[in-house]
Amino acid sequence: MISFELSEQQQQIKEMTHWFAEYEMRPIAMEADKLGKVPDDWLDKVNQMGIHLNTSSFSSDDGSDKGQNRKREREGNRLGVLATEEIAWGDPAIALSLPGAGLGGPPIQSSGTPEQKQRFLSIFTKDKPRWGAYALTEPEAGSDASGIQTTAKKVDGGYILNGQKIFITNGGRASWVVAFATVDRSLGRMGQRAFVVEKGTSGFSCTKLAKKMGLRANETAELLFEDCFVPDENLLGGEALYEITNNKASGFQVAMKTFDSTRPIVASMAIGIARAAYEYTLDIVKREYPRHGKYFQLATEYLAEADQDITAARLLTWEAAWRADIGLENAKEAAMCKAFAGQIALDVCAKCLELLGPVGLENHLVEKLYRDVKVFDIFEGTNEIQHLVIARRQYAPFEIKV
Amino acid sequence: MISFQPTKEELSFIEVAKELAIEKIRPEARACEDNKQVHNPLAKQIQQLGFLSLELTEDWEGLELPLISQAQIVKALSYGDLGVVQGIPGYGDAAPFLRLFGNHPILASIKQQLRTNFQQTIALLDVEDQWGANVILTPEVDHYILKGTSQPVRLAKYADYILLFARDVNGQPLIAFLNKEEHQWTVMDGEVRLGLLASGISSLSFERIRIRKENIVALGEEALHCMQAVRTRNYILHAAKEVGLMEAALDYATEYTANRKAFGQHIAKFQGVSFRIASMAIETQVANHLVWEAALQVDANDEKGYGAALRALYRAHRSLRYVTDSAVQLLGGHGFVQEYPVEKWMRDGEAQVMLYGREHLLLQERGEQIVLGVKEVVEK
Repeated sequence: MISFELSEQQQQIKEMTHWFAEYEMRPIAMEADKLGKVPDDWLDKVNQMGIHLNTSSFSSDDGSDKGQNRKREREGNRLGVLATEEIAWGDPAIALSLPGAGLGGPPIQSSGTPEQKQRFLSIFTKDKPRWGAYALTEPEAGSDASGIQTTAKKVDGGYILNGQKIFITNGGRASWVVAFATVDRSLGRMGQRAFVVEKGTSGFSCTKLAKKMGLRANETAELLFEDCFVPDENLLGGEALYEITNNKASGFQVAMKTFDSTRPIVASMAIGIARAAYEYTLDIVKREYPRHGKYFQLATEYLAEADQDITAARLLTWEAAWRADIGLENAKEAAMCKAFAGQIALDVCAKCLELLGPVGLENHLVEKLYRDVKVFDIFEGTNEIQHLVIARRQYAPFEIKV
Repeated sequence: MISFQPTKEELSFIEVAKELAIEKIRPEARACEDNKQVHNPLAKQIQQLGFLSLELTEDWEGLELPLISQAQIVKALSYGDLGVVQGIPGYGDAAPFLRLFGNHPILASIKQQLRTNFQQTIALLDVEDQWGANVILTPEVDHYILKGTSQPVRLAKYADYILLFARDVNGQPLIAFLNKEEHQWTVMDGEVRLGLLASGISSLSFERIRIRKENIVALGEEALHCMQAVRTRNYILHAAKEVGLMEAALDYATEYTANRKAFGQHIAKFQGVSFRIASMAIETQVANHLVWEAALQVDANDEKGYGAALRALYRAHRSLRYVTDSAVQLLGGHGFVQEYPVEKWMRDGEAQVMLYGREHLLLQERGEQIVLGVKEVVEK
C-alpha cells in the first residue's frame, strides 16, 4: 500500500535527530564555518553521546537478523535518509564531520569479509572520535571513476600502492580510508581493487586540506600513496571476491554499488539544507515582509516553489531508499533523487537569498547554506553523471548503451 | 511506514486500464479527435469496465475508491490518450460533487436517470475565475437570475446538466444544479483547434435564466466549503491524468530515439538527447509523487490536502508542458506532423493546462497559504 506516513521508529529517529540538529548543531554552525573546523571538544562530546555519521548502518544487509526477524521489513535506508535530512538541516558541514565510518562504511558493509567488517567497523567507540573515509576521486579521474590512475602492484603478502586522491571527506583525520586502485590500467574497470588503508601506514599521507567555497568546517583532504604497502588482509572482500567474480570489474562494482546507497543519503542532505534555507527565510518573510505588493507576490511564488521542490525531492529520495530496503534495484531512482535534490537545493537557497536581498549578505545563515550546497550537485556523482545513469536505465530495454 | 508499493487491487485495476489504454484508446485517439467526439463504443467499453464510476459512492453504483487508487488508474488510462479520457461523457468534473454531496435532495429526482444512462453528462461550470467571461448572478426575492457567457468549459457541448459554482453580485457563494430542460442554456459556436478536441469544450451562454431555490445546492460558507472540497479532488485527478500523458510521451520519445539513427549512430547516444530523456523521466516522477502525496493527504482528511492539491496540479502543469514539448523536440520534424502522436499530446497538454488553472495563480495561492496561513487566506 502506498503510504508516506512515518512508522513509529521512523518518527522517533526523525524527532531525535531533529532535536540534536536544532540544539547541538545549529547553534555552532556559523562559528564552525568561520573557524574552518568543528571544535574538538564538541566532537568529543557528541561522540560520547554515541552520535555518528555511519551510513553503513543504513544499507547493511549482512543477513545477521535473518531467521530471527523474517517478517520485519527492513527500513534502514529510509531511517538513514530521514535522519540525514535532519542533521543536514542542522548544519551540513558539521553533519559530514560527525565521527563514524561515513561514506567509507557502505563498501565495507557490502563487500568486506566478516573479519574486515569486524576490524574496521567496530572501532567507532565512545572513548574517542574516529572517522572512516572513501577515496575514489583523483586529479585526472573524477566523474570517470573507471579511469583511476592509482596503482596497486601485487607483491608477496600484499600490494604496493602509488598515486594521489583528492576531495576526500575526512580523509586526513580518518582511521582508515577505502581507496580504489588498479592492478593493471590496461584492464580498465576489471583491473580495479578496493583497499582499506589504515592511518599511519608507511607511505600513506595527507598532503593538503582544501580551502573551499562552502562546507568549510568539514575537512576535505588530498591523500598520497608513495610505495605504500597494504597487506592482503586489507584488500576489501579478499582475493576471493575477485576470484568468485572472475575478475569482472569487482573493484569498480564496489565503487558503483556504494553509490546506490549513498546517493539517497547525499540527496537527503541537500534537502535538509534547502529546508533550512526555506524555513529561515519563511520566518523572516512572515515577520518582516509587507502583506501586499510586489515583494509579497515575489515571496509567495518563490516560497511556494521552494516548498514544492523540497517535497518532491524528498519523495524521490524516499522512493530510492524504500527500493533499497525491500531489495529492489534502485540505481535509477538513486540517480534521480541525487540529480533533482542537488539541483533544487541550490535553486531554493538562491531564491531565499534573493528574498533577503543585500541584507542577506551579512550574518545570515542562508548565504552559508548557499555556499555549502553547491557541492551537493557535484560530489557522489555530478548532476551530469546522474543524468547518464538515468538515461542508461531508460534505454536498457532497447539494448542501447548510452 | 513509507512505501511506494501499490496494493494488489490497484495493480489489477492498473493492468486492465493500461491494456485498454494501449489497445483501444490510443489507436482510436486520432479518429476521435477528427470527429470531435469520443466514439460511443469506446466510451461504452470504458464505462462498462467501471472506469467512469471510480469516484462515486455505492449509492451511485460507484466503486468509491480512495484518491490514491484513482490517481493510479486514471494515470494508466490517460497513458492511452488524454484527449479521449477528457472527452468521455458522464459525470466529468462533477463526480467529486456526487461523491461528497450525492445524497442532496436536489439530485434525488435525476439520480436514476444519471445512473442508468451513462451518456447523461454533467459539466462543471466554475465561474469564480471570470476573466474573459461575463456571467452575472443576481439575487431576486425568491430566486436568482443568471446571465452572460462563460469561459470555455469541458463537456459543455454534451451537457445535460450543469453544476454551477458562482458568486452573486454581492459576493455570496452559491452552488446550483441546472438541467437543460428547465434552464435552456446555449452552447456557443466557438471553435477549439488547439487540443482536447474530443472533449466537448465550449462556452455557455445564459439569457436571464431563472434559478429557483429548488435548484440551489448550497449558499455562503457551506457552498465555499463544498467548492473547495470538489476542486481539491479534481485538481488531483487532473494532475494524475497529466502524469499519464507524460509517461506516454516519455516512453514514446525513448523508444523513438533508441531506434532513430543520425550521423551513423542511434541518436540516443548523443547526450543532448539522452540527458533530455533523463530530465523528462525525473519530471514525470516528480509530478507523479506530488500527486500521490496530495491524494494520500486528502484520503486521510488532512487539512493540508487542498494545499497539496494546488502543489500537485501546478507541478503537473509545468512538467506536462516540458515533457510533451521535449517529446516533440526529440522527434524533430516527425514530432511536428500528425503521423506521430506526440504533436497531439503537446496540443492536448497545453489545452489541459489552460482549462485547469493558470500555473502562477495556483502557485501564488499556495504561496499565500504558506506565508499567511490557511485561515488568513480564506478570510482574505
